[in-house]
Amino acid sequence: MAKVAYYPGCALKERSSHLDRSARDAALGLGFELDELETWTCCGAVPPVSSERVMNLIAPSRILKDVRDSGRKELITICDFCYNTLKRANYSIRNDEVIRKRVNAFLADDDPERTYLESDDAPWVDYDGEVKVLHLLEYLRDIIGFENLPAGLKNPLKGINIAPYYGCVMLRPEKEIKLDNPENPTIIDEFTRALGAGVVSFPYRTECCGSYLSVSSPDASTRLCYRILSSARANGADALVVSCPLCFYNLDSRQEAIAEAYPDFRPMPIFYFTQLLSLALGNGPEKQGFDMHCVDVSPILEKLDTPEAAEVGE
Amino acid sequence: MKRIGVFVCHCGINIAGTVDVARVAAEAAKMPGVVFAMDYIYMCSEPGQSLVREKIKEEKLDAVIVAACSPTLHESTFRTASVEAGLNAWQCEIANIREQCSWVHSDMEKATEKAIKIVGTMVRKSMLNESLEPIPVSITRKALVIGGGIAGIQAALDIADSGNKVILVERESSIGGHMAQLSETFPTLDCSQCILTPKMVAAGKHPNITLMTYSEVEEVKGYVGNFTVWIRKKARSVDWSICNGCGDCMAKCPAKVPAEFDRGLSTRGAIFVPFPQAVPNKPVIDRDNCIYYKSGKCRLCEKVCEPKAIDFEQEDEIIEVEVGAIVTATGYDTLPILDLQEYGADTVPDVIDGLAFERLLSASGPTTGEVRRPSDGKVPKEVVFVQCAGSRDPERYKPYCSKICCMYTTKHALLYKHRVHDGQPYIFYIDIRTGGKGYEEFYHKAEVEEGVVYLRGKVARIFRDGDKTVVWGTDTLTGRNVEIRADLVVLATAITPKEDSRDLAKKLRIQSGPNGFLSEAHPKLRPVESVNSGFFLAGCAQGPRDIPETVAQASAAACKVISLFSKEMMEQDPAIAWVDEDLCGACRICISVCPYDAREFDEEKNVVVVNAALCEGCGSCVAACACGATQQHNLSDTQIEVMVSAALEAFDV
Repeated sequence: MAKVAYYPGCALKERSSHLDRSARDAALGLGFELDELETWTCCGAVPPVSSERVMNLIAPSRILKDVRDSGRKELITICDFCYNTLKRANYSIRNDEVIRKRVNAFLADDDPERTYLESDDAPWVDYDGEVKVLHLLEYLRDIIGFENLPAGLKNPLKGINIAPYYGCVMLRPEKEIKLDNPENPTIIDEFTRALGAGVVSFPYRTECCGSYLSVSSPDASTRLCYRILSSARANGADALVVSCPLCFYNLDSRQEAIAEAYPDFRPMPIFYFTQLLSLALGNGPEKQGFDMHCVDVSPILEKLDTPEAAEVGE
Repeated sequence: MKRIGVFVCHCGINIAGTVDVARVAAEAAKMPGVVFAMDYIYMCSEPGQSLVREKIKEEKLDAVIVAACSPTLHESTFRTASVEAGLNAWQCEIANIREQCSWVHSDMEKATEKAIKIVGTMVRKSMLNESLEPIPVSITRKALVIGGGIAGIQAALDIADSGNKVILVERESSIGGHMAQLSETFPTLDCSQCILTPKMVAAGKHPNITLMTYSEVEEVKGYVGNFTVWIRKKARSVDWSICNGCGDCMAKCPAKVPAEFDRGLSTRGAIFVPFPQAVPNKPVIDRDNCIYYKSGKCRLCEKVCEPKAIDFEQEDEIIEVEVGAIVTATGYDTLPILDLQEYGADTVPDVIDGLAFERLLSASGPTTGEVRRPSDGKVPKEVVFVQCAGSRDPERYKPYCSKICCMYTTKHALLYKHRVHDGQPYIFYIDIRTGGKGYEEFYHKAEVEEGVVYLRGKVARIFRDGDKTVVWGTDTLTGRNVEIRADLVVLATAITPKEDSRDLAKKLRIQSGPNGFLSEAHPKLRPVESVNSGFFLAGCAQGPRDIPETVAQASAAACKVISLFSKEMMEQDPAIAWVDEDLCGACRICISVCPYDAREFDEEKNVVVVNAALCEGCGSCVAACACGATQQHNLSDTQIEVMVSAALEAFDV
């Protein structure tokens, strides 16, 4: 079975371990293995938005260099923040000679034999950005092909209407990320459609979920999440699908606070795209970590047809 | 030895700020052959020029070198002055110490050294310059105008009125251009059709104008005064010499095609005239959408055509014409709404562009002038206008200002209020730019008297909610986000050059700028000419502009053409290539490198000869000639050698 280098990141090891697990299951169902890097560190997560030019690139560059050194050309990641961090670091290294030299000089210092204060112009390593960083969605679209998904599905997601929610960092900045049009993205729509579900487009699909405001100003995040969820509901969605662990956290765990603040609010289940894929490929609900969700997903699962059960009946 | 005078210009501080001009003059005075040298603050001014004239006489100069700006700017100025003082024009040379020295350096010491070297090379060259006479070239007194919008029509009429012949080529089947689509025009609100159609008719009837509509320029060869142009007359599938324009064919055509003229808000047949006031008012068959051309069946138009004018077999014709000047007035397009993803692109039916709104306002439009929205034909009660949709946005779309949108959006809001009295227009803007006669007053009227709400800020997103079109924007004056649940949204999309304007520029060998608009020879002093002589520009092909400006520029271009045609003969620069027939080895390499087709092989003499009228003096042939037979007047191999050695000697100093 084909193995593709895989960088899970911190969230997928803890609060979003169900994202990690469902992704691994889904990949196996599609005939490839997410091969976790032997050693990896924090990607840097928030520093990309800082004004520092070089320091925040060192951790992601080291990860990418290790992938290159292990002889692999592609790296899959799933968390939108990891994806953003890794891809932008790679972009800077590819396109900015000064940054490339500075980062490589730092990476050279990883070597215990290296004496400090060597010339920056002659680094011992030379990582040029040759690894291709792929979001799992990107891998599914460009390598597997969304058009090839339906043929392998045991349980197409018939009978439910799902609203794709994109958030921010998966798509921006457009020039560096180049995944989809950030103003009018379609990648999760196409993915969801390929799984057989009804796709609901709604105006708030790229509006902010509050991101880290949920720590410093939770009320603001509550208000934003309310708008997103109620707009999806008004447009006919049964559930929301996301890829970012932070979006998931805000949209799922804030619903209790939303219900208190807005009496008209009705809860809406949130799915990771990998959970939908894993379900459609025939893995049972018990494998999806639904017990980690704040909002009960069972109304959606009940709505799903289960052709396998029907087959057994015959 | 020649007596040479050197005149060093300060160009204010443009040169003197970086180059020690007094030292340049002093060093020049020491050079062999130089009998006089001086510096002066503005050599090109009248006192500066008279200094040149006086010194030529006083010092009995044989040659003059003006160390100043690029020769493209003032070579002719100083040559004229020299001629007035009795010198041959080609004994006056320019040493460029501005663009090639002061403007690109900051170190005064080094820049001064370089300026001295530049003057030194020209002194050496000047020693060997011959006196030349301009070559007389005949002129074809007929102009080609490309593009039949208001710019092309105006230019054609003005040239034709002067008694010269004009060929007016238009790509569509009718002249009129975008102006024919407009309802009323700012700031006077006179009806666009009413002021345009008389000019269209005049152009169609003028004895000096040959209209060639449904035609495109295929190829252009030649040079100022003597162009040969090949024009593709596209197959109309209708014999216009027989067609009486009755319109029976159009009434019967079963095909339904979105009408371009109405921006897709109505349909037309496959056989059509773009609008009822078309000139010429004769139809063509759009073969891509004709049922007969697609399926081999139908020919209904043929059956109903009384005079039997339908001709399905008609083919494109290539027509060759000779002209002396070419006016390019190919107009503009607007940025497709599809490109503006955040504004609903093609998913929100009630988002239209400014030209579509013009059609909704127009008495001859698809709604006969009632404002009705595309989705359900309802009269919209709240309309949002979004300015700068794609303009002034260097990150995502076009960096430039489209110039006319502030005014036409204000006009749109006013006309909307005039038609829907209880309606509310909102305008999102970045800045309101009302530079023009009566423009600010017009804007004031809209805002203060007519209650148009102006919101200073950009629109972030437009989407459909039920039958409403929701606009999210920001009002930067109050610092608040704004949501308007509108019935219709009109985008003032960016003005862009025609999609194929770069191809045309290439065909004509004229320049276009970074955004694709055609470039003028000088932005201030030669605004209607291309750098390549014989080519003139008018209208939006050169950049966004409104009707008054377009008409003024078209008349200016016409005036330039008329002035060119007023000469008996043109004078061609004689500093061109020539062939020493005794040395020519007949290898003909020079013919293959000449970009102007200016060289041909004389079979009888077995040598290559130069067509003086075509040669531009680029020097390619001189460089390519293996036996040194090809030389250029006043740029001989010897002259180049002495110039190089002058530059190298100076390095050793």
